[in-house]
Amino acid sequence: MTTLTDTVPANTALIDEARPADLPRQVLVENDRDFDWITNKICGIVEAKTPTWWWIAFTLSAFVSLFTVFGIIYLVSTGVGVWGLADPVNWGWAIVNFVFWIGIGHAGTLISAILCLLRQKWRTSINRAAEAMTVFAVVCAGIFPLIHVGRMWFAWWLFPIPNSNAIWPNFRSPLLWDVFAVSTYGTVSFLFWYVGMIPDLATIRDRAKTKIRKIAYGIFAMGWRGSNRHWRNYEMTYLLLAGLSTPLVLSVHTVVSFDFAVSLIPGWHTTIFPPYFVAGAIFSGFGMVLTLMLPLRAIYGLHDLITQYHIDCMCKILLATGTMVGYAYMMEFFIAWYGANDFEAFAFVNRAFGPYAWSYWIMISCNVIAPQFFWFKKIRQNPMIVWIVCIFVNIGMWFERFVITVTSLSRDFLPSSWGYYSPTIVDVFTYVGTFGIFMFLFLLFLRFLPLMPMGEIKAVMPQADPHHGKNHH
Amino acid sequence: MSDTPVKPLSAESTAAAGSLAGGQSEAIGLERIAHICLVVGGLGLAFTLFGLIFGDEYRVGLGALIGATFWFAIAMGMLFLVMLSHLFDAGWSIIIRRHLEHGISVFPWLAAIFFFLFFFSMVYGEGGIIWKWMSESSESIVAGEVSTVGDDLLWHVKQPYLDNFWFIFRNILYFAIFISLAWALRRNSFQQDTDGDPKHSLSSRKWSAYGVIAGALAGSFAALDWMMTLDFHWFSTIYGVWFFATSVRGALAITVLIMLFMVRKGVLAGIFKQAHLHDLGKLTLAFTMFWAYISFSQFFLIYNANIPEVGNWYVMREGLNWQAVGFALLFGYFLFPFLMLLMYRTKINPGLMTFFAIWILCFMLLDIYFNILPSKMDDLGESMYAFIPSFWDLTALVGVGGICAWSYLRSFAAVKPIPVRDPRILESLHHHE
Repeated sequence: MTTLTDTVPANTALIDEARPADLPRQVLVENDRDFDWITNKICGIVEAKTPTWWWIAFTLSAFVSLFTVFGIIYLVSTGVGVWGLADPVNWGWAIVNFVFWIGIGHAGTLISAILCLLRQKWRTSINRAAEAMTVFAVVCAGIFPLIHVGRMWFAWWLFPIPNSNAIWPNFRSPLLWDVFAVSTYGTVSFLFWYVGMIPDLATIRDRAKTKIRKIAYGIFAMGWRGSNRHWRNYEMTYLLLAGLSTPLVLSVHTVVSFDFAVSLIPGWHTTIFPPYFVAGAIFSGFGMVLTLMLPLRAIYGLHDLITQYHIDCMCKILLATGTMVGYAYMMEFFIAWYGANDFEAFAFVNRAFGPYAWSYWIMISCNVIAPQFFWFKKIRQNPMIVWIVCIFVNIGMWFERFVITVTSLSRDFLPSSWGYYSPTIVDVFTYVGTFGIFMFLFLLFLRFLPLMPMGEIKAVMPQADPHHGKNHH
Repeated sequence: MSDTPVKPLSAESTAAAGSLAGGQSEAIGLERIAHICLVVGGLGLAFTLFGLIFGDEYRVGLGALIGATFWFAIAMGMLFLVMLSHLFDAGWSIIIRRHLEHGISVFPWLAAIFFFLFFFSMVYGEGGIIWKWMSESSESIVAGEVSTVGDDLLWHVKQPYLDNFWFIFRNILYFAIFISLAWALRRNSFQQDTDGDPKHSLSSRKWSAYGVIAGALAGSFAALDWMMTLDFHWFSTIYGVWFFATSVRGALAITVLIMLFMVRKGVLAGIFKQAHLHDLGKLTLAFTMFWAYISFSQFFLIYNANIPEVGNWYVMREGLNWQAVGFALLFGYFLFPFLMLLMYRTKINPGLMTFFAIWILCFMLLDIYFNILPSKMDDLGESMYAFIPSFWDLTALVGVGGICAWSYLRSFAAVKPIPVRDPRILESLHHHE
């Protein structure tokens, strides 16, 4: 095999000329913290006495999650009529909420997998929490199609096994592909999250003071001793999972976009849907990561680990993906006119100026305009404003799905059936309850599992560099 | 890297620096190659002009558009790679970036070629040579009947966009964007070689931030204007993304070839290393998948919906021998390089990477053919031309390519082969796996 080095002598004269201009890279851990400080800081979150605010938040989210539970009980015992669905709007909040939560679940695996492959070292202090978010968001997302199928005890019919009447599911329906895509994504995301946690679980196990704690963390640490062989296997597994997850990040929201795009409904059938949905999902996912991480940073004093540089990077990703989504809105609108199809043009004009114009402009303001503030360094440096913009992003991305679903359905090809869709109180409560479920799970994670990957953070610090302090390259 | 000691610039190394700029190019015989490229390019373009006037102007015109678009796509892909490298503050790719900066020097020349094609299509004969909508008297198939553009209802609806003046205006805008972005990024980088001021890097970062947005819009609408409007009944919202995907693939393939050539010539020997090649290979793999994803999305959604007004674009590409081209793209442009590039050993092997770079360029050209040539309809509304490359396609491809190669080499001779004062240059030189 030919290699690059064995033929021509190196151009050393040119190499010797390299004298870099002075533009130092940002540090990833501020205040020159050492390894010990990081271990104490992150394990301290799990080991310290449960803070009062945690109990309050936990109780509150447990209470709010009951909304979903009661919403479902009421729905099943009474019938789908308790929702606001009315023909032709047969897909209302359920699909909107499903897509919203699935989108939120995209940042975790993106940060862990794609940013890992791109060697973006800043991902280390946020990836664990984002992965946890992914898993919990998929849980919330899964609820909606499950209850939307009606008799959810027959939901197993979605699996590719012939049911009692020897009927197979329709393999040509993207709704079935969703079953595969989402369940694969959920499984791999969970594995990724768990594998990444093993060394940290072992650290907590080793520091445990009570026997129960030692055994519990010991079981989940799977006998990790931090040997060279363990790390080698771990690194390989991590890389393989990153490689596997990368296409999954794209495929899940692509299949979700197919749910709409394979139909012939104006406003849904457009070829840009797959990449546009993926960009939107990453956008909403990062919005949620910042929504959760900024308060945690303040509560636990994690400023040295989630630095201004981290916030900058995430703001820029929000700016980039928000602008991509804006590009898709623009291109859809342009082609709706250029395509010269009356129905398509009507669907878009109706979105912007019809009865749901308010929701369309909320969507545009929150998704396209709000992130543009991140062009300014001063705004990126103000966590309060960043947090507020992220709230707008969360709102905007929910409305994007609402606009797509409801505006196209409520004014279909048959004007006599047009109407104005409104959710019922049951819709609202069932949805709000999922935030309770999400927070309930996230708070448990916060209390019992390592919030940040200690090993990975240490590995990107200058102290981990074998040449550190030797002025050597 | 902040603790890097800055070596004093001695008189000796200043002299060496001079010899590494213009002298380097002369020493390895690139100046002669540059001259040859210019002559070949000029001849190619002259031949194409001859073909346009004395041959089948419709077919030669499409061939010229294919040649020009192929090289434009590569230059645009290179511009995006430069901008992304600045935005990500990438370290490893600095030594490669310099060569992309030479590559993007071609936009003014491409502009001249494209504007010639636009005006030719507008005024030659009865007009509407390449883009039939440019002349109301051009033939257009309306509901299966032979008619003229002027009688085509769809043209009337789209007329505000498909308007000669507005088309030229838009294209001036596109090229103004590409030329000024390339100018600013090149100026900053070359200036830094001499004064070593980090402000140039920061300026490039700003230009890149605005540039990706302006470039994405200009590139998308250029794709719409040049290729989608060839069959102006058809439309697809993802088309701009497709053009971006195929452009970056072409740019990466050319970059691999340039870098390996420079290593063989000794310019980048010991500088462009296996780790760089591996990373370029990974990007090539990533964009292979991205292209497939975008192309499949477009095909699948149109095929599945089966709506005549948009489905016809693919139906036309099942006629004559175009279906074979479609399958060749599927297997040759996606599956084969995808499977091979998955392997680590392929990505670090200069011979194999050269092979795949050439392979991808061939199929990228095929992809451009597939998007341009079948759009010309006969009286039955089917593709007029089968996939049979003509001599005039070759002259256009070589003509535009010759000019691009000459522009690259001219730029190469003027500055150092790597940005020696870039803040991340040591990261790139010390890049390892």
